[in-house]
Amino acid sequence: MLEQITQLADPIGAFIGFALTIMVLSYIIGDNVLFRLAISIFIGVASGYAAVLILYNVLWHQVIIPVFQAVTTGDTEGLLTYATQVAPAVILGIWMMTKASPRLARGSTPVLAFLTGVGAATVIAGAVRGTILPQVGASMNLLSTQAAPPETGRLVGWFINGIIILAGTVTTLIYFQFGVRRQEEGVPVHRSAILDYLSTAGHGFIMVTLGVLFAGVYVAALSALIDRVRFIWEIILRFF
Amino acid sequence: MCRKPNTPVQEECLYCQAPLKGAGFIAPAEPAAEGSQVPPSEEPGEEAPPAQSDLFSSLEDAVPDWLKETEASFLESPAPEAEGPTSEQLSDQIDALINQPLTSSEGQGPAIDDDWLASLLAEAGLNEPSIEDLGTAQDQGGIELEPTGTSQDEPGEEPPIAPEQVQKPDWVSHLEAGSTIKLEGGMPPGEPPDRGLQVSETTGQEGPGEVEIPDWVGKPGPEADTPSAPETEKPLAPADLPGWLEALKPSEDLSPSEPVEDLTTAEVVKAGPLMGLRGVLSAHPSAIRARKPPTYSIKLRVTDEQHARVEMMEELLANEQKPKPLPSKPIISSRNITRLVVALVLILPVIWAIFTGSQRVPLPQPNIIPGVVNCTQSVQRLPVGASVLLAFDYEAGFSGEMNLAVSTAISQLLMKNAFMTLVTTTSSGAALAESLMNASLSTAGIPEGTSAYTNLGYIPGGTLGLLGLATSPRAVLPYSLDGDNVWAAAPLNTISGVADFSAVLLITHDPDIARSWIEQVGPLLQEAGTPLLLITSAQAEPLVRPYYEAVPAQVQGMVPGLAGGLAYGQTTGGSPQNGTWDAFSAGVTASVLVILAGAITGVVVKMIKAKNKKES
Repeated sequence: MLEQITQLADPIGAFIGFALTIMVLSYIIGDNVLFRLAISIFIGVASGYAAVLILYNVLWHQVIIPVFQAVTTGDTEGLLTYATQVAPAVILGIWMMTKASPRLARGSTPVLAFLTGVGAATVIAGAVRGTILPQVGASMNLLSTQAAPPETGRLVGWFINGIIILAGTVTTLIYFQFGVRRQEEGVPVHRSAILDYLSTAGHGFIMVTLGVLFAGVYVAALSALIDRVRFIWEIILRFF
Repeated sequence: MCRKPNTPVQEECLYCQAPLKGAGFIAPAEPAAEGSQVPPSEEPGEEAPPAQSDLFSSLEDAVPDWLKETEASFLESPAPEAEGPTSEQLSDQIDALINQPLTSSEGQGPAIDDDWLASLLAEAGLNEPSIEDLGTAQDQGGIELEPTGTSQDEPGEEPPIAPEQVQKPDWVSHLEAGSTIKLEGGMPPGEPPDRGLQVSETTGQEGPGEVEIPDWVGKPGPEADTPSAPETEKPLAPADLPGWLEALKPSEDLSPSEPVEDLTTAEVVKAGPLMGLRGVLSAHPSAIRARKPPTYSIKLRVTDEQHARVEMMEELLANEQKPKPLPSKPIISSRNITRLVVALVLILPVIWAIFTGSQRVPLPQPNIIPGVVNCTQSVQRLPVGASVLLAFDYEAGFSGEMNLAVSTAISQLLMKNAFMTLVTTTSSGAALAESLMNASLSTAGIPEGTSAYTNLGYIPGGTLGLLGLATSPRAVLPYSLDGDNVWAAAPLNTISGVADFSAVLLITHDPDIARSWIEQVGPLLQEAGTPLLLITSAQAEPLVRPYYEAVPAQVQGMVPGLAGGLAYGQTTGGSPQNGTWDAFSAGVTASVLVILAGAITGVVVKMIKAKNKKES
């Protein structure tokens, strides 16, 4: 019986997917009931799936089962590990649930403060260690002879690429430099002409970057469209 | 001496018993010309009209002798007093004038024995106004006669001034300028400029040029030319006191110093330094004693009109909260047509490429796409049976773009007989991973249930969870989705940190997720020399690529987008594209054409609009 259901699940799922895909693509003719119905189904399914995932994957497998196993097996080391690593998180989690009550919501402030502080420290430390310092070092080594390719044909391209990256980095940073020292009170201030030219160049680099990002998003969407069209065609070939 | 009027037949004053007989009163010589009283037509040096001289003579005849003597002696006095009659004297005189016995009714001349009144009448003798005339003139002309205190019985109050030394006052100059008759020779001597008859308007506008002179003063009326002797001989009619003059009459009963406020009903201060006084502020402490402020009701007293307005406001607010139905848009509109045309232009080439399975466009080569070759080489360098961590951090919507590369990577790992540990930081990642693994195992011909992978599921906590996974994966994900303690068995029993894996393959569409992995997990991997490989979407490639191209590289291999997946597939022996790449190429070409057409159309429309605007 279970095997039959499993065998039927694939074609049923495929047909549901086909119907939902058509409903979403109906947005071509404008906002309509089918499109809104499909979006509502996606939101509901995603929320339900996330709730089940948290209950099953997090609470059950990471909180409850370890306690049972440690108690049943008499693993004192496992209990100690649980008490030091999992129990504080459980306590903070339960404490956080006071936010559900408007009367007790203020009680969750220490938990939020703890999470915010620790999260900010983690993100900042990771950004400094994983992005800022390595990227600054990479930018400084752009034109390093040690990083130069041994082939002569690639040497010109490497040099031009390094120059462009260096110019883009410098001019983009100059573009975000808005501070000007006032020389005389009441006289309007202006940046120097050189900074203005470099700022304009930085503006151009920013525009190119945003254009590339948009192109990437469009390519990703086009790939998704191709995948859906292929899916529809396969379903048509399979069922019709 | 009291200057109260008496009848001529009296020998003594009825009031002060001063002898009246034998005392002469010499009327002062009337100046030939006197400021405001001289008719404009009368030139200096000319003789007075006969009627005026007759009037003077009749008046002089009427003056008793004792008064003439008194006046003569007064005129002879060297230092006349500058003071005029007091107000009491004036009021007494006016009162006596009004209430005097009607002696004129006996056929005699006007019983005027008061000097100032005589002079006033002399001045008025040109026109001879009566009391009624004064009142009428004041009422009609709105003028007010003010007693100046100047009396004709005091001609010697000031030394005579030569005519050439006297300057005309401004108001005379203005009057003269506005008149056709010029007053030559300046002011007559003996008449101070500021002692003339003051005339003021009731409108409050004062000034020489704005003064209206009553007709009987400023104009030579016909009465001035006609003999007035018969009028002067007429007995004075009983004075009918006007209301305004009656009101001005001082009352003898009331004393001006008497307090107006009636304090009889005022409270008497019973304590303090002011005790016994009436009508003063009490300094008793009870007056300033602190007490609880009274409580007032906060209930508003609303009138019917205010209540109606409140109801109207509530109705307006209630209507604002009601959702209004959106106006129905027409199905066939230019916007919808444009959208449909663009969609068809994009979809039709894709559908054509998919339906036909076209493979005309050459596939992208691995050496063209940066990172693909390095990714392939990194996987190839893995030892057989190595433990690889796969992070499925992408949404199902990007499966069409990324599944090709992921399937290729899984196939390559399966060929290396690697043990894959699946984790995710997105909610749908676990299901996607499970689905892809089953599909890849099925494709590779590996039976289900083979211990080629374990799915640890969702990593809670976001960035914090990643840091915990990097340092202590056993604590963060102790059990697999099947409930097995995979850390206790091989091959994960040798894993204490993420750096212990042979490689980490991150599959994500989000550049932020990629950056979090690189920042939190990457440094540990770099220290251990573990390669970090990345399969990403085309939209995340521009932001992730610097990590790959950095020196030293933070990402050792990268497969970006659909093109990268196809190129990566070629490195592992090729994968059937089934027209996908042709559809992608056709779609990109159509998109470029649509964008160009839209841009050109927009520029042309804008130019046409600008031209029409200039012409209009």
